[in-house]
Amino acid sequence: MSPMQNPTLRLDLDHLRLGEREVLRDLHLTLRPGEWVAVVGPNGAGKSTLLRALAGLLPSGGALRLDDRPWPLLSRRERAQALAWLGPAELDGTGTELRAEEAVMLGRLPHQGWMGLASAADRQAVTEALAAVDALPWRHRPLHTLSAGERQRVLLARALAVHAPVLLLDEPLTHLDSPHQADWLRLMRAQAAQGRAVCSVLHELHLALRADRLWVLSQGRVAYDGPAQQPAAREALQAAFGQRLRFVPDDDGWLALPA
Amino acid sequence: MRTLLSHLLAWASAALLSSAALANTGPLTHTDDLGRQVTLRAPPQRIVAIGPSLVESLCAVGGCDRLVGVDRFSNHPAMVNALPKLGGLGEVSLEQVLRLKPDLVLLTPASRLHDRIAQLGLPVLALDAQSLPEVRRLLRHMAVLVGAPERAEAVWAQMQREIDAAAAELPSSWHGRSVYFEVDPTPYAAGEASFIGAVLARLQLKNIVPAALGTFPQLNPEFVIRAQPALVIVGQREAPNLAQRPGWAGVPAVRHGRVCALPRADGDVVGRPGPRVGDAARALVRCVRALPPP
Amino acid sequence: MRWQPLALTLLLLALSGGLLLLGTSVGAQGLDAALWQAPSLVTELRLPRSLAAWGCGALLGLAGAIAQGLFRNPLADPYLLGASAGASLGVALALVLAGSAGGALMAGSGWGLNLAAFAGAWAALGLTVLLSRGVSHTPRLLLAGVIVGVVLAAATQGLTLLDPSTLRPMQSFMLGSTSLLGWSQVALSLPLLAIALLLALMSSRTLDALGLGEATARSLGLPLDGTRALLLALLALCSGAAVAQCGLVAFVGLVAPHTVRALGVSRYRWLLPLSAISGGGLLLAADIVSRWVAAPIELPVGLPTALLGGAYLLSRLPRGEAR
Repeated sequence: MSPMQNPTLRLDLDHLRLGEREVLRDLHLTLRPGEWVAVVGPNGAGKSTLLRALAGLLPSGGALRLDDRPWPLLSRRERAQALAWLGPAELDGTGTELRAEEAVMLGRLPHQGWMGLASAADRQAVTEALAAVDALPWRHRPLHTLSAGERQRVLLARALAVHAPVLLLDEPLTHLDSPHQADWLRLMRAQAAQGRAVCSVLHELHLALRADRLWVLSQGRVAYDGPAQQPAAREALQAAFGQRLRFVPDDDGWLALPA
Repeated sequence: MRTLLSHLLAWASAALLSSAALANTGPLTHTDDLGRQVTLRAPPQRIVAIGPSLVESLCAVGGCDRLVGVDRFSNHPAMVNALPKLGGLGEVSLEQVLRLKPDLVLLTPASRLHDRIAQLGLPVLALDAQSLPEVRRLLRHMAVLVGAPERAEAVWAQMQREIDAAAAELPSSWHGRSVYFEVDPTPYAAGEASFIGAVLARLQLKNIVPAALGTFPQLNPEFVIRAQPALVIVGQREAPNLAQRPGWAGVPAVRHGRVCALPRADGDVVGRPGPRVGDAARALVRCVRALPPP
Repeated sequence: MRWQPLALTLLLLALSGGLLLLGTSVGAQGLDAALWQAPSLVTELRLPRSLAAWGCGALLGLAGAIAQGLFRNPLADPYLLGASAGASLGVALALVLAGSAGGALMAGSGWGLNLAAFAGAWAALGLTVLLSRGVSHTPRLLLAGVIVGVVLAAATQGLTLLDPSTLRPMQSFMLGSTSLLGWSQVALSLPLLAIALLLALMSSRTLDALGLGEATARSLGLPLDGTRALLLALLALCSGAAVAQCGLVAFVGLVAPHTVRALGVSRYRWLLPLSAISGGGLLLAADIVSRWVAAPIELPVGLPTALLGGAYLLSRLPRGEAR
């Protein structure tokens, strides 16, 4: 099965519900190859829910299309090879005795046979992914013995190891220290440059503002869907956060500080 | 003068004798198996007995007509079946007990109701018998309770006669043969020291389980096989399965068909230490006689 | 200390072999090598009993590893979803029916009881899945399992009260018994173990991935519902078969996976078979102890397993926060 070559992911959904509650409405979003989109908004705006919908993890799969193929028509394997999803940090790492490299190797599952035997290519991918997040020194250590930040980087590596053309990351910078946040920024830019479609939910607004595109969620809708560098983006952010932000220019972009 | 003295003496001795007779029906203090003491002003007339051994022992010494309530499992003699059944050995209906207005309640020491019933103001005695000598002691207790202490020995003597009569029915070729009595397929055996073991001993059968191993030990099946018993006595339910147990096909009893399958009703009698030990001996002998003699 | 899984497998197998040898040497007189004097004792009694006890323990170890992986809970054991309560009820029913006039069917009670326990375990599991309306929602499964377990246990109690002659056999069952295991039990449990292990190994990657969370596992393209259904069926099969032969042996299913994890095994490809081998060794060791300590009197095998298992868990109790 040949991997998808840089597909486009589209979500067209009138109502995004979580159980009985409507979380978002009027969603018409496109994630294009080579583009890094940051999803921002106040707490509870539905960012994680949106990302799950994009990953096909919610029952609303019918509204999702990969290129022109409806999501439900794709096989489980095609989906897993096309899209890598990293959940929010509280979701895991401590419930397992797996070692770091074993956890990253799980990211190769979409490419492996049912026996799950690792090929040389798989091992190569794992090593590269661990190197990219600077986690090689503890590749043999069990996840639960790592610090939260170290563990988060390993989980990131797991998502990278899938080599999927679409990357969906939910709060990937949780627990990461500044140098590694900076590393991650470079990594995301590199992934996009290679033609991948990257979408990340971020709390760190100063990093989000460095993305290619910004989706601002507020009041159950997408309040802004456009380039991140434009003033309109910052205005939308201000509105979404109740005018409690102060934007300060920086070498590379903008900093968002509490007002 | 002399006649007056002799009249006085006659009168005095009559008074003494009658008071002695009265003493038999006067207040008595009974001590039960738990060491608790209960004083009854008069021999009890309305007795509740929870436990088949207790019921049977009481009836054996003539106290059956004093019974007003028994437990669910007491079924002998026939007349107790007409009495109110007050529940199992552990869960007795206290309300029903109270309604019967007993003047004495008999329980086994294992029952947890002792304190509760005593709290309700009823005299309670905890008695039991697990071996033949204990049955004798239980009979004596019961006989004293009904005010006829001499009856205990009479019943005991009758029991001995019945055992001897049953033993006489067993062909002498069985004497000295080894026997394995299984109480439960785990396997649990009845050893020499148990009630069943005592009866088997009176039948001149040699128990493969010596007294040192306890009354009802759980055995390694290998022990039974090594002992090569000439006779095996099990419950009717287990008897057909013996040959299938690993290694048991070679046991002499199984090989020669000398397996006594005790019917369930007989199991009641054999397993219950009480005055029906004669019936128990007879049941065992009946079962063994049906087998090919050694 | 970290063991290479293959080396560990060989070691545990060797240990099991040693225990088997010991098992053939412990009998009604304690330790005695009957092989020369009475070989039939070894071939008809001690060898099949030891093998079958190992087989039972292996089934329990495997079931325990599956349960702990499926529910991400290190305290899970094979009896978790009501299987033990169902098996007990089955046995109680069979005993009560065998006592009645219509119990002629149960006359072959040796196999009748085994079948009743097995069927009971499956019925309980079916009830649990029914109650939780499917296998997809793990917390609901667990809760349903608890409910089924409690209700069936009460029903079993009620039955034993109704017919107290079942009290002692039920007690033996609840404490576990390896006394009457023979070649027919070996012929049943070992092939079953092999099949169950093979099928479980097919799900080992999914079990690994579940450690990263259910959503992640799903996003990796794993067939979660199908795998869960398979694993639950295997759980019922293994624990049902073990309970049918050896009664309710405590701790083996719980402790065996822990012993293997403590030796550094983290992936289910190794955790599953090694838990089986460890469980087998544990139950066999307990069986030997139960035969040896007070020979010719036997302890119910559940006692040494509780002691051994409890002691092991105590030794693993964390002495403080270690990072």
